[in-house]
Amino acid sequence: MNKQMRATTTTDLATGTGIKVDGLTKTFRLQKSIVQALDNLTLVAPYKKVLTLLGPSGCGKTTLLRSIAGLEVPDTGEIQIGDKLVFSSDRKVFLPPNKRNISMVFQSYAIWPHMTVFSNVAYPLQVQKVAKGEIKRRVAETLAQVQLDGFEQRPATKLSGGQQQRVALARALVARPRVLLFDEPLSNLDAKLREEARKELRGFLTELGISAIYVTHDRLEALTISDVIAVMNAGKIVEIGTPKGIYYNASAKFVVSFLGDVNLVEGEIIRRHDGLTFVQSPLGEIACKASPTLPVGTRGTLCIRPEVFEIATDAPNEGQNLLHCTVDQLLFTGEAYEAEVTIGDTQLSVTLSSFTDVRQEDTISLFADPERCRFIGEQ
Amino acid sequence: MKPRLNMKPHAGGKLYVPSLFLLVAVLTATPVVMLLIGSFTEGLGAFGNFTIEKYVDVYSDIHLVRILLNTLIFILGTASFSTLLAYVLSYLTVRTDMPFKGITKTLSIVPMMIPHILLAVGWMLLFNPSNGMLNLAFRNLFHSHWTLFNIYSLAGMVFVEGVLDMPIAYLIISPAMASFDPSKEEASWVSGASNWYTLRKITLPILKPALLASFTLVLVRSLASFAVPATIGMPGQVYVLSTYIYRIIAVGYATDYGRAAAVGLVILVMSTFFVYVYRRLTSASEKYVTVSGKGYRPAVMKLGKYKFVATGIVGFLLLFLIVLPVVTLFYTSLLPYVMLPGARAWSLISWSNWNSVLHDPISLRALRNSVFLGVVGATLGVTLSIFIAYAIVRIRTRLSGLLENLTFLSYSFPGIVIGIGFMWAFVRTPLYATLGALLIGYIATYLPYGVRPLTSAFIQIHQELEESSRVCGASFFGTLRRIVLPLIVPGVVSAWILMASMFLRELSLSVVLSRPGTEVLAVQILNFAADSLWGKVAALGMIMILISTVLVIIATLIGTRFSKNRV
Repeated sequence: MNKQMRATTTTDLATGTGIKVDGLTKTFRLQKSIVQALDNLTLVAPYKKVLTLLGPSGCGKTTLLRSIAGLEVPDTGEIQIGDKLVFSSDRKVFLPPNKRNISMVFQSYAIWPHMTVFSNVAYPLQVQKVAKGEIKRRVAETLAQVQLDGFEQRPATKLSGGQQQRVALARALVARPRVLLFDEPLSNLDAKLREEARKELRGFLTELGISAIYVTHDRLEALTISDVIAVMNAGKIVEIGTPKGIYYNASAKFVVSFLGDVNLVEGEIIRRHDGLTFVQSPLGEIACKASPTLPVGTRGTLCIRPEVFEIATDAPNEGQNLLHCTVDQLLFTGEAYEAEVTIGDTQLSVTLSSFTDVRQEDTISLFADPERCRFIGEQ
Repeated sequence: MKPRLNMKPHAGGKLYVPSLFLLVAVLTATPVVMLLIGSFTEGLGAFGNFTIEKYVDVYSDIHLVRILLNTLIFILGTASFSTLLAYVLSYLTVRTDMPFKGITKTLSIVPMMIPHILLAVGWMLLFNPSNGMLNLAFRNLFHSHWTLFNIYSLAGMVFVEGVLDMPIAYLIISPAMASFDPSKEEASWVSGASNWYTLRKITLPILKPALLASFTLVLVRSLASFAVPATIGMPGQVYVLSTYIYRIIAVGYATDYGRAAAVGLVILVMSTFFVYVYRRLTSASEKYVTVSGKGYRPAVMKLGKYKFVATGIVGFLLLFLIVLPVVTLFYTSLLPYVMLPGARAWSLISWSNWNSVLHDPISLRALRNSVFLGVVGATLGVTLSIFIAYAIVRIRTRLSGLLENLTFLSYSFPGIVIGIGFMWAFVRTPLYATLGALLIGYIATYLPYGVRPLTSAFIQIHQELEESSRVCGASFFGTLRRIVLPLIVPGVVSAWILMASMFLRELSLSVVLSRPGTEVLAVQILNFAADSLWGKVAALGMIMILISTVLVIIATLIGTRFSKNRV
């Protein structure tokens, strides 16, 4: 597990020819203020993998995607798709979107209302002047892939949200583009449908083995759909890595808290032993993972996710990472208990199995696996 | 279909919809029925003797071919010109980052507020072949005998009517443009299509219902137009159907209302057909309004270095199309005869035209009558409209649906044609040649102008507000008075302003119904124009604009006061 987590550096991802973004900058003028949407951004998206751009709204992720698509012209920098240079401010290269051999699924789906399902999906092929019979065959094939066979002659306006989303996907797939771009494609579906669509989309993308860039602000979507996640903030890539690696081993506090609920506790490194780092904190001495470059004495933050805690039945590892605390509040959510516990003056959020037999004001012992606790040094 | 239960909560007004329906039916159907009867009658006052002679007369006239051809060119030209102009203006104001968007948007709908006859006269003063000011200036500048542009022509009519009807087209096209999700175009580009291919296959087809709706509505308006054909068509002997009717009933010694009715009926049928097409198209365009997502934002096209070119063109266009004729009108009102600005003109400037108009008994009477019709007519019209709008929005039965269609039917009624219908209806009653006749005619013809703003006002009030009043024990009419009415004040004010300004400038219906003693402003202006008294036309026109501005201001003030008291 450990090795897998570490395989998160950019060099490992650069195998094959994906998308290279180099030194991209883009500023917008919004009335009188100037917004820096992309700030000297560099990124390598791996070949035939799904890369997700995840970040809060306004972080520049959509601007980056639209710049790759050619729908936005960056101020400076370079973009290369495969071995083709599509934008370079130095060499004055700008390929319009229709020359980039890409396709895109839009947030609003952008289904053309004056056409049938067939004409919507056939459009990219018609533009390429593919022979009629071939168009018919490929459209039918793609519609079957998204389980919309038999809908060919349906007017686009007579489709449900989920069906529109599938048409948009079929239209993006039909021309077998070099790169598939997704701009928050699931955000307009209702919760139930979104969950289904997410699973389906993941299945699809794994099966197709296509280079894809996927923009979302939904961490769950990012974690389930991607091979690689790039977390963005204020026009920059803050961290890039596999979903699991980035969820447990992120090295920026912003990324840790953006990816999910987390307990943040101040502390200081007191020693290292056997691949583990020991941190003195208000919780007592906690064994955890930390970047090996941090020297003893570094102050920083201990990050422990609520689901890391489990009720300790016996005392494993001679009481290492064992916390004795009082239950302040207990919320039953169906699949679990969400508990607020205190240890000394520190309050922690803890997720416990819903079968656990605890009550409010009980004193309980919790264990936190050192491999899943993370210490981040102060910058 | 909803069950009948729907009627129950409104049991207090059981006869409400049927009686309204009857009233509106009488108002709108009377002129049509009388027109039909009249077209098969010898002449005014000779009812009962059935004859088809009028039809034979009219449709065997070889001149009619020419007139029909003129009409066709006039309405198709106007509709194309207005729609194109509105498309360009909407595109620039909605989809680009052009500066001064706000001013441009406002200016684009200004031609709707200025009485058409005045803008037409303004244009005529600039471009008539004998002493149009721009024509004179051109001749002076190049020492030639040529005319820059002769406005007394079909081209001139299309141009002026096109400018006047542009706001209607703009008000249809620009919302369609605003709700157009730009990612529909982007999806086409990333699919590999070029800009041109995208415009042809995606943008224009999606906007097609809106463009066609605007086209047909302008067809209806220009077919009904009388001001432009009368002021700049007739001097050049270019007749269209509406002026042809006018010639039959008002020019020469042998006025023939039977023949006029026979022509009018054909216009009415054409017009009703266009309105039918228009309503079909607007429901089609609603179909195209698809779910646009949460993240939807209208992408703005950056004009870059073309920014100022676009502003320059739009600025010039609007200045030239709207401001120039109004300024010309005011300038002319201060001079004894038409001349170019200069030292001589400056020395002759005076208020004498204004003075003489304000001392002319007929003009004064026209002024009084028009103000009376505007104030009283709008008040009665809006009152009726409130009841109708309520029935349409709140009491949804089959009859109220019919009521809606009946109300909007008068959209397709060209004033001059409907005026002839009313003429037949009133001629033997005490209403003939009274202000009452004009009042009824105005309200019947302009009912949609009152009902439209009020239906949208009612739609915005949540039904639960009314229901809680009923639950508290208030009666149906009590609720209407104490809850609904105060909430729709803004709608009432805008409906009143719209109707009052329509009535104040009314020309095409009045040209038939107004008689000595019941003169109105627009008809008096037309009479001055027929005698080439341009100074008086301009002065009376300016007075008309001033009065309608004052009325609008007063109505707005009362409206704000009322809503403030409420809070």
